[in-house]
This record gives sequence, structure tokens and C-alpha cells, in this order.
Amino acid sequence: MPVFSFLNPAFLSALPVAAIPVIIHLLSRRRLPEVRFPTTQFLRDLEPREIRRLRLREILLLILRTLALLLIVLALARPSITPRNAVTHAAAAVAILLDDSESMGALDEEARTRIEAAKERALAIIEAARTGDDLFLATTTRPDAPGSGFTNDRVRSKRAIEQIEATALPARLEEAIDAVVRALQRSRLTARELYVITDLQRSNFTPEARRALAAAAAGGTRVYLVPLVSTRVANHALVDLSPELRPGPEGRGLELRARLANFADAPSDRVAIRVRRGDALVGGGDVNLRAGEVRWVAMPLESRAMADSASASIALLVEADADALPADDRWYAVLGASRRIRVLRVAEARDGVRPPRFASLALDPSGDGSSGFVVEEGTPASLLSLSPARADVVLLEDVASISGDAEARLRAFVRDGGGLVVALGPHADPTYYSARLFPGVVDLALEGPVESGAGASFELKSRMPSHAAMEGFAVGVGSPLTQSRLTGLIRGRALSVHAEVVVQTTGGLPVLVTAPGVSVFLSSLSDDWGELPYSGAFVPLVRGLVGHATRAGKAGARADSRVGAPPAARLAAAPTSAVLVRGPGGYASQASVGTEGAGFRAVADAVALVPGFYEFHSGGRTIANAAVNVDPIESDLALVSPDSLRAGTVATGAAGARAAGAGATGTAMTTLSSATALDVHLRDTRRGRELWLSFLVAAAVVLAGELMLGSARVLKP
Amino acid sequence: MAMNESRPRLLDPHFVSKIAKLDLTARLVVEGFLTGLHRSPYHGFSVEFAEHRQYMPGDPLRHLDWKVLGKSDRKYIKQYEEETNLRASILVDTSASMGYGSHSISKLDYARQLAAALSYLMLRQHDAVGMFAFAAGRAEQIPPRSTMGHLRPLLLLLERLTPGGGTDFTASLHTLAERMTRRGLVVILSDLLDEPERIAQAIHHFRHHKHEVLVFHLLDPQEVSFEFSREAVYVDLETGERVTTRPQELRSDYRRRVGEWKDKLRQSCIEKRAEYVPLTTDQPYDRALLEYLSKRARLL
Repeated sequence: MPVFSFLNPAFLSALPVAAIPVIIHLLSRRRLPEVRFPTTQFLRDLEPREIRRLRLREILLLILRTLALLLIVLALARPSITPRNAVTHAAAAVAILLDDSESMGALDEEARTRIEAAKERALAIIEAARTGDDLFLATTTRPDAPGSGFTNDRVRSKRAIEQIEATALPARLEEAIDAVVRALQRSRLTARELYVITDLQRSNFTPEARRALAAAAAGGTRVYLVPLVSTRVANHALVDLSPELRPGPEGRGLELRARLANFADAPSDRVAIRVRRGDALVGGGDVNLRAGEVRWVAMPLESRAMADSASASIALLVEADADALPADDRWYAVLGASRRIRVLRVAEARDGVRPPRFASLALDPSGDGSSGFVVEEGTPASLLSLSPARADVVLLEDVASISGDAEARLRAFVRDGGGLVVALGPHADPTYYSARLFPGVVDLALEGPVESGAGASFELKSRMPSHAAMEGFAVGVGSPLTQSRLTGLIRGRALSVHAEVVVQTTGGLPVLVTAPGVSVFLSSLSDDWGELPYSGAFVPLVRGLVGHATRAGKAGARADSRVGAPPAARLAAAPTSAVLVRGPGGYASQASVGTEGAGFRAVADAVALVPGFYEFHSGGRTIANAAVNVDPIESDLALVSPDSLRAGTVATGAAGARAAGAGATGTAMTTLSSATALDVHLRDTRRGRELWLSFLVAAAVVLAGELMLGSARVLKP
Repeated sequence: MAMNESRPRLLDPHFVSKIAKLDLTARLVVEGFLTGLHRSPYHGFSVEFAEHRQYMPGDPLRHLDWKVLGKSDRKYIKQYEEETNLRASILVDTSASMGYGSHSISKLDYARQLAAALSYLMLRQHDAVGMFAFAAGRAEQIPPRSTMGHLRPLLLLLERLTPGGGTDFTASLHTLAERMTRRGLVVILSDLLDEPERIAQAIHHFRHHKHEVLVFHLLDPQEVSFEFSREAVYVDLETGERVTTRPQELRSDYRRRVGEWKDKLRQSCIEKRAEYVPLTTDQPYDRALLEYLSKRARLL
């Protein structure tokens, strides 16, 4: 049964105040004056009908006035009722899961971070804790961080909350929920509450995280979702950087290519990009981004500032205009020495005629390597002597097949980080590629050539415009790449998600398929099947194929690291002594060294928590630099709907309850969408539902009724 | 101009009530009233010449027509048709309810002034005036006479009147109607606090004896408007009955009922061919005097 009580019972002593109207009424009746009047016959006639009505109204007014005073006095005494389902009196295990991921550093209109609001909510929950409650605090980025654990000490909990700041790490929501639920189950208290204070970022609520949340609710834990935002906030971000500097247009100067994303429903105009080397501004430009666009942009760099680019690794900081989430508007990069990409082009002469050199000309038109590409012409036999020291990328162009030895050499080359570009053509044997070369290299099956027929052609359409292979194109999803005719291609089929179809025909036939370090063009780079080599799209297409293959993308091969992972760096030579890594925020860690391809790779023992430059020292000198950046997964501030989470919880909760058998009761998730809602919830469940406002409203209603009744008395005559 | 300015004041009950001597006030009221009339009401009244006859020894010498004697040396006596042509009886209600006054004068004061003024005016016209003051269990009477010297006893009676006792109004009227056998004008000054049907019967009684009846219904303004503001115990002046009520609640119903009551009285009077003149004690006297003159004009 609900329990009714007063939080300020001292005010109940003022209850006799409610008798004031009755006393005034009695006194006023006793002191009525006498008026001598010629006749009372007309008054007397009115008496039975009117006076009775008046007296009834008088009594009603008296009751209303007394009731109003009574309600006001009771309101001052702060009446409170404990709902039947509240855990007011029983102590509970209360867990707070506080989102401290990078997105919680996003600023609102008042330049206040989300984490500040989250901490306020968490402190309110701690403040409302009852004696005997077990309190547990965890964060979404480091759920198993030392210091988390049950405590009855509010002061300690508050201090722990106050020390939480938004990290640069992505949320690990699923792990965090599992950890919290496990902790709750360790508590001796049967009543369990989980408050998830989050910005509802969609990327955090993976299907696994949703399932974990639903399972928690199904297990009898009261799950309270405390969202901090209700709408998507626009945010642009630097999400990647080309690991190597490129020669500028026409071989002049250098340029840096960065990948920008506009996570917004509206365009971002004139986003300024600045490239700094130390304190010096060395390049930059302005970029216009469409709503939801992700694309590569090239920024010219000052030649003088980059004069040493050929001989040293260069630490650059790329900055975009700061917006809602400042953390992802900076990108740290340690670029390798500017070098030309060496391409071994393998083609077959047929009938004594050398194959056309369209692709070679597209990569190195002047033949002096000034474009950043150096092309070596070769035959399948050239592959027998292939090594990373000879070439960075192998371009197989319209080769029917290669020998087993050459194939083995090529596989070893790819395994060691070399790039592979396969351009098919009318002479390529689909069966060979499909059955022999591609397995283990790219999950692609080929069926046979397809020709468009007389007078017709295939239309090439971009499917993944932000892909590295599309760096040279400014196109959107579904945009045609070229107007030139393409009359034939090899019909192919991606066998897994690891084979990405970047370009396809209007009918959905793959034309460009990529895998890490591998690009496959399913048509011809010659003029056998149309006029592609004569189109403006040819040069960026060929360079994109080679560029993607060069950026091998194999695990551990990235030039930069992410926060939450240990910094790593390639070493040209084995260090002579132990390697120590130092970084921003007082970071210091030992590093372990292993071989990687022809060189070595040093990986720090401790994870990096702060983006920035990390230096690898050995023997008293710096042997390498590494850049650590934030994870772009936190940059999209799109929200997940609390309703969808709640619906999933209910459905899964019911299923979970059934699975658990009799006695298991699933509970739905409750959303406390504002600070006020949280306060009301805490007040209701901890101290009981206060009714003073209801009493005051009732008093106001009663007084309004009294006024209406009273004014009716005046108006009627 | 001074006359015109003084006239309303002389007719104002508040002003007149401050003058102690009733004969003076009666004269002032009437003279003030007459000054305002464009035409003297005396012309052709009461002293009409009828014919000459031969003087006979013993005839009063003051009636001798000296002009005829001077011209023809013959003695003729001027004979008048009648000295008095109207016999009026003023009936003043002195019941306790007449003692009510919400401002400077009570209804009885107003009736007293009005009766005095009417008496003076009537005697000025050589009408015979009688006075009857009546209340429950008491009645005073002065029979009608037409000499100016008769004014004094009338005023003395009026000055003696005090409110008291209930009004068995219709019983008193019936008694008076039985006594007044000679045809004349009956002027009733009363608040008529009785059943309209019974009042109608009493008026009928007078009409049965060929009397003309002029009813001045005197009410205090508060009796009509009931402008009291606060809740009080209202005590009936005649019955002593006590009613507790809130005026503001009942005002509209009260006014409606008083209006209905007055309409009923007016209707009763019309049916009995009596003149009904409602007056409140804040109204000037000239309305009442005009009503009287109008009535007299119709009678003669």
C-alpha cells in the first residue's frame, strides 16, 4: 500500500488556520446590525426560495475557503506519497554507467560539454542515494578501469565523478554494460538499478550493445536511460590522411591529401583546412562539403617549408575549423619521406606487337617520375625477380595468366606489403584469375566477358565515392565517372564484404573491386573495349587504382595509430637498446620490437589515450615518430532513438524472461530525458512522490471556484 | 428671477422640513407653487355672481351693490351661487410604518407637509377641508369647513400627529366612508401597506358614496430601491417581525416585487376610478398639488 507522509510535519501545527473562515463567519453573523423597515413582507416572501439558496452558497463558500486554507497548510507541510512500485525503503545496488567517449566532449550552444551535463546527472543520482545503497560507477571507454567498484561512500563516489572528463576514446558500450551487469550481480542487494548516462550516439549503440542492454533489463535490473541530447548536432571531421606526400599538379610542389567528412544534414561551406609543421603554417585550403559527404581533398604545401621532404619523416598537424566536436578537427600525421611510387607494369606482347602504354602514360606522362610515379615495363617473366626493393606496386594489365612460380612470387610480394593492381581485358583468362590468383588475395569470382553489343556501352557509376581509389574524382554515390564508351568487361561477383565494389555499371556489374592492397579493374585499361583511355577520367582512375594498392592497408601497416591502441612505428634498423615511448599528457611506455617485412616495427606496451605525436627513443636518440589520432567512429553525432532502444528492450526482455523460466521477470527500460525528469524520478523513488504542488494546484482550483461563486453573487442582480 | 429660483426650494421637502411652523410652510409651498403656474387657478372659482334681488331689511349691508345704488338709487343685493363648491377630506395615515424615513424626513413628515399645503390651497379656493388622521385603534377627525380660519385647527392636528401602531387600513377607511355621507373629494395620504384587494374594496366604498378619491401613495426611496449594502436584520415597524437577509442578493427580486405591488395598486385604483399618485419622499410637492388641481378641474 502507498505510504502517505509529511516531510515538514511542523507546518501541520498551522492547521487551525483553516478554521479562520468559520470563525469570521460566526463573528459576522453575531454582529449583524438591525434595520427598522416599514414592512418585511417583500423580504419575507423572498426568504424561502432565495435565502435558502443563498445560505447554501454561503455554506459552500465557507467550505471552499476552509478547504483552500487546509490545502495550503498541507502543501507547506510537503505531503509525500510513496508509490507502490518504488524502492523507497529498500536499499538498492545502483550502477551508473557514464559515457565518457570522445563525443561527450561535443559543445552545446553555450560552449558546455556534454560530459559536464552527464556529471551533473550522475551527481544527482549519487546525491539521492539512500543509506545502505551500493553505488557502482563505470565509464563506457574503460569499463574495467581501476577504481570502479561498489561503495557506500557518497563522497568518494562524488569525487570519482568529478574527476571524469571526456576522453578521446570511442565508447565500448557493450563491454561496459556487461561489466556493470556483472558488478550488479555481485551485490548482495536484490534491487538493482542501472543508469546509463549517454549522448545516445548511434555508433555506440551497436546491435551487441543493444542486446546487452536488453539482457540487463530482462535480468530484473531496472534500466534507466538518461540521454543528454535530443537532436543530431552537425559536425565535420578529418577522418584520414594519405600517408605520403604527393607531387603537386604537373609535378610542381607537394600536396597532402586528407579525407574529410561532413556528418550533418546540411552542407558545410568553406571549411578552412590548415597544415602546420611545428609552429609554421605550411599549407591548407578551403573545402565545401555537401550534407553527409565524405571525400578526399588535396592541399598544396609550401615547397620551401617542405624542402627536406625527400629525406626525413615529416610530422604534420592538419587542422579544420573547430565545430561542435573539436577533437576530430585535428589530425596528426607522420609522413614518410616523399618518394616516387614504383610501378612494375606487366603486360604481354601479342603477335610481336607491344601492348599500348595508356596506363603507363597515365601514371608517368613525362617519363621522368615527376608525377610521383615511376613505371617499369615488364612481362610476366619479370615477376620471377619481383621484390619490394624493386617495386611498390605490380600492375597486371590484360595478362592471360602467369606461371606458378611467378604467382608464388607475386603472392609473397603482396604478403610483404606490396600492392597489386589487376586490370583485366579481352585476353585475361577469367578462370585462371578466379580459381588461382584471386583466392587469398581478393574475394572475387569471375565468370566471363560481357559485351554491351553494337552501338551500346556500359555506364560507369560511382558506388563508394569516398573510397581511396576514387581520390581523383569529385563524385557522389551513383554519379557517372565518364561519358566515354565502355563496351566490354569481365562479369565478376564479390564473394565477401572484404571485396568492396567501388565502381559498377548501371546494371550492377562490378567494374572496380578493391581489397586491402589490391585493386581489380574488370575491364580494359587499353582501347580494346571502348574509349576509356581517351577520357578525362582515365588518369585519375589509373592513379586511384595504384594509389589504393600502394596504401596497402594491411593490419599494422598504417602510418598512424588510433587512441585506445598502443602507438607503433616502423623502424628502418634494429634498435641498439630498449625502446622507450614518450607522448603527450605525460605518456611514457616501454616498446617491444618485432620484424615487419624488410624492416622492424616497434609497438608500445601501453595504449595511447591522447591524440598527438609519440616519440620512440632508443640509445638516447629519437629513432621514430608515430602519430595517434582519434577514432572517426565518434565523429558522427547522429542519435539513436530511445524508443527504439526501449522497444528492443521490451521485446528482448520478454523473450529473455521466457527463456529464463518461471520467476524471471523482465522490466522495461525507462527514459529520463531531462534533468527535471531525472530529479522527479529520483525524488519519487527515493523520498516518495511529493504532492505539495498538487495540493497548491488544488488550493488554486478551490480558490478559483470560490471566486466564481462569489462573483456570481455580485453579478446576478 | 428671484421668484423662479425660490419656487423649487419652497417645493423641496428637504427645505420645507426645516421650517418649523406648519402654517408658514403650507403658505410658502402653495404660494411658491402658484407663482410658478402661468394661469391663476382662482379665476371663475367659488365666487361666481348669480343674480340681483331687491334689498330686504335685515340683509347684510356688505352684500349691497353700491354701484347700482349710486347709478339708479335703487337697493339691490348681489346674490352668489354658492360660497363653496368642493368638499374635501384629507385622510392621513399615521401608522408606525409612516414614521420611516431613510433621509431627513419621514413619510409622515412628508404627508404632514403635503396635507398642510393641500389644506391651504383648498381654503384659498374656498373649498371646504376636513382632516382625518387614522391608525390602528385611534382616529382624529376635523370636519370640513371652508373658512381660512379653519386652517389653524387643521394644522394643529397635523402637528400633533405621531406615528404609531399598526394600520388596519381598510377597516379605518370603511369607517370613514360610513361617516362621510356628503359627496366630496377624498384625498388619501398613506403608504398603503395592506393587501391591494382590500384597499380596492375600501376605495369602492367611497366611490359607492359618490366620493372622488385621490390616493397619494407615499413611499420612502429606500422602500422602492432597497439600496442597503450589507447583511442585516430587518425589523418590521408595525409587526416587529425580524428577517435576516443580504440586500445585494435580493435587491433585484425585491424591486420587482415592489414594482408588481405598485402596479397592482394602480390597477385597482383605475378599476375603481380613483386617481393613484405614487410619490417618494424626495419628490417635490408640486406634483401632488398639480394632481389635486387637475382632479378638481375635472370635478367642477
